[in-house]
Amino acid sequence: MSANTNFDAIVIGAGIVGASSALALTNAGLRVLVLDRGAVASGTTGAGEGNILVSDKEPGPELTLALRSRDLWFELREDVGDSFELEAKGGVVVSRGDDRQLKEFAEKQRFAGVDVRVVGDEELHELEPHLTPEVHSGILYPQDAQCQPMLAAAQFLRIVRQRGGEIRTSANVTNIFSAMGKVTGIETSVGKFSTPIVVNATGTWAGDIAKLAGTFLPIAPRKGFILVTAPMPQIINHKVYDSDYVANVASGEADLQTSTVVEGTRSGTILIGASRERIGFDGSMNIDVLRRLAAQATSLFPILRDVQLLRAYRGFRPYAPDHLPVIGEDSLISGLWHSAGHEGAGIGLAPGSARLIADQIIGAEPFMDPTPFSPGRFQAGAA
Amino acid sequence: MIQPNKSLTFTFNGESFGAIPGQTIAAALLQAGRSTLRTTRFNDEPRSIFCGIGICWDCVVTVNGVSNQRSCLIEVSDGMVVKS
Amino acid sequence: MIAIIGAGPAGLAAAVTAAKKGEKVILIDSSTRLGGQYWRHLPSNWNQKRLPYFAEAQELFDQVLSSPLITWYSNAHVWQAEKKNKIFYLYVLKNGVEEVITAKKVILATGAYDRTLPFPGWTSPGVMTPGAAQAMLKTHGVLVGKKIVIAGTGPFLLPVATGLASAGAEIVALLEANKPWRWILNVHGLLLNPSKIREGIYYLKKLRSLGISIQYGSTVTSFEAGIAKIGEKKISCDVVAVGWGFVPELSLAGILGAKLKVEKDGTVVIDVNQNQETSIQGLFAAGESTGIGGSVLAIAEGEIAAGKGNRLTRWRAQVFAKGLQRVYPVSSRWLSSLNSEVTLCRCEEVRVSDIHSAIVELGAQDGRSAKLLTRAGMGLCQGRVCGRNVSEVVASQLSREVPDQERIASASRPLAGPISLGELGDGLGKKF
Repeated sequence: MSANTNFDAIVIGAGIVGASSALALTNAGLRVLVLDRGAVASGTTGAGEGNILVSDKEPGPELTLALRSRDLWFELREDVGDSFELEAKGGVVVSRGDDRQLKEFAEKQRFAGVDVRVVGDEELHELEPHLTPEVHSGILYPQDAQCQPMLAAAQFLRIVRQRGGEIRTSANVTNIFSAMGKVTGIETSVGKFSTPIVVNATGTWAGDIAKLAGTFLPIAPRKGFILVTAPMPQIINHKVYDSDYVANVASGEADLQTSTVVEGTRSGTILIGASRERIGFDGSMNIDVLRRLAAQATSLFPILRDVQLLRAYRGFRPYAPDHLPVIGEDSLISGLWHSAGHEGAGIGLAPGSARLIADQIIGAEPFMDPTPFSPGRFQAGAA
Repeated sequence: MIQPNKSLTFTFNGESFGAIPGQTIAAALLQAGRSTLRTTRFNDEPRSIFCGIGICWDCVVTVNGVSNQRSCLIEVSDGMVVKS
Repeated sequence: MIAIIGAGPAGLAAAVTAAKKGEKVILIDSSTRLGGQYWRHLPSNWNQKRLPYFAEAQELFDQVLSSPLITWYSNAHVWQAEKKNKIFYLYVLKNGVEEVITAKKVILATGAYDRTLPFPGWTSPGVMTPGAAQAMLKTHGVLVGKKIVIAGTGPFLLPVATGLASAGAEIVALLEANKPWRWILNVHGLLLNPSKIREGIYYLKKLRSLGISIQYGSTVTSFEAGIAKIGEKKISCDVVAVGWGFVPELSLAGILGAKLKVEKDGTVVIDVNQNQETSIQGLFAAGESTGIGGSVLAIAEGEIAAGKGNRLTRWRAQVFAKGLQRVYPVSSRWLSSLNSEVTLCRCEEVRVSDIHSAIVELGAQDGRSAKLLTRAGMGLCQGRVCGRNVSEVVASQLSREVPDQERIASASRPLAGPISLGELGDGLGKKF
């Protein structure tokens, strides 16, 4: 640990978004400090599936971000090494009944640049031999990918350290200082640091950090459970989900919603999701949700009936009221950048968000118009 | 001690074994001198029973098509098909 | 109605006591036979002559089976539980069908399992716990090997040795890591429990008659291709049965939110009051899950949990049990005997070197991170075997102590037992 407490940028949050931001800034030549009140990936990243999806996004700014971010994941593998189980396994969305809505949605996505392939009954069951015969059509999204998010965050940070950055875990940020509307530094449980740039990558807790700085971000938790099965030889080849998944991602209902998402992992376990509830930070077990997820999964893949459930865990997705992430400079305090509120898409969107922020910080042309993600859209008195 | 006869038959990886009613798969195999129950999925290491009471899950086998069954707990039934 | 989970000494004693008070009892147990781990036995039609201590067990079995107030729910696995409005809901799987058992009072008597420490070669076929050797012999009449090394620490090694030897195995070495002078530290325990002195003498005499001598102060340091190393000495054997005391099974307690605490030797146990009640009203615990202490203590606690027991008997047994911790400590010497190739997590094949990388390369600063990054503890056994060991290896590499909270977290898990996705989903339609 160096004695120099001046940094070019400080990233608060050592989850996937913070780690990606730190790496992008480090690669842009900045000396970066990363802080987390817990351990690396101890927040939502540690409860994630590792989804890197374009399939579940309707045309719009988030899809544009997702497409670029997905490619950046593979560029990062070149830079960091093949050390986080990144796999372009592809996603298959199936519809149980009338598939017209799904096909219309897919057409719009194709028009927006997504690689979309409609598959019929025979091809569908060739792609996924164990899929129930009751499903007859689907859409293949070859661009959908998977990674191990905790390993990814840890590996990104390893490279940050290698390239001159510093990481402090178990470090609580207690104050963010600014003078004349510009960030000057922070105070933490492990000391004071000065910097002109702070990146708030604290996900579900981004609102708390914003408050410390004297600004505002409306990020709230959306609880989700994931089932993990005992390890098996591979029986599911892609991420497979039903079209309800898309509808639920976009909806704002507070009540429990579940949709079916099933996929295998490198380690042999099968992950099953997805549930969404807005019940604050209530982390208690909900057996009913587990049953729903299990029943949905076995209805898509009857072979899963005999597979053992190993464990179930839950996480809190951070979301903003309009379900778009918050990526950009704070409108009240310059030098304070937010990259939070990615909801269930944080893993996939992390590198793209990091690039958006890094490019703006160093004065390069961002790869897309960042305005839709602007924090200012929630902040009174914004331009 | 007088042991009852091995009146049950089951197969393990295609090979036929006898078992006394009430014996677990692992017990019957061990009695027949078969120690290794499976090999691990990453490093192909041979494993046998370890805790013997259903805690460690080292002894798992596939029973009649159902995977991850603890052979130290499951009692043999006649005609059972067991695989590593 | 009272629901009792576990039909070992504590659960049986609780069931019989409650029935004597006129209460209806449902005794849920995962085995097809009564007795738990402690009183393992062959089926009655095997004509096995019972050992003298078994009379007590047999009496409890008979009482349970004959009482109209006790329902024995055998071969039943409690995978999940919750408390809603003063009622406990126990989700039980029996023969692939899920049922819910409701009760206003629950007694957890889920016992314990052998504690194990890793060493080079410990994953090889032939290496097992003393409990495994005992279970095979007592329940199935099967000898796990012909030439057996028994090692580790604790009084349990003695009956295992005599049992195996009486059944015809050659005990090529009986290694007790702790030295016998340590019994000075439990003199009061012995004085308060003279039956323990008789029991000890019984086993020592039996060992002598079988020609087995105990080697104190040593243990198995590696096992490979039929050769066990004890320091520099090599011994040929086909089985190494090694155990280091016991670990309470606490999953259900954690699921129901009962407060757990860490004892001085690092064992996590359920915190109970004088009445054996946990921090959750109506939830009681008895036996090894409140602290490792053997059958006499378990029976006393079971009776008290059911509402009528002898507190003096319990106290005396507790003194002995606490004293045993001083006689048979598990030192941290095993940490320095590890090499980087030794497997720490058997299920996920995570080695010492993987944990080391997680700390040094990936910045893991605690056990939880190291486990998340390496998958240690994420396999089929959900950390029951490796949890404590991984925490202690990480702490030792970071020159720290394992925080109590981490020990408690390792003892807790979201599922108490396995359930298939089919069984789980089928419960959706049912009105539980």
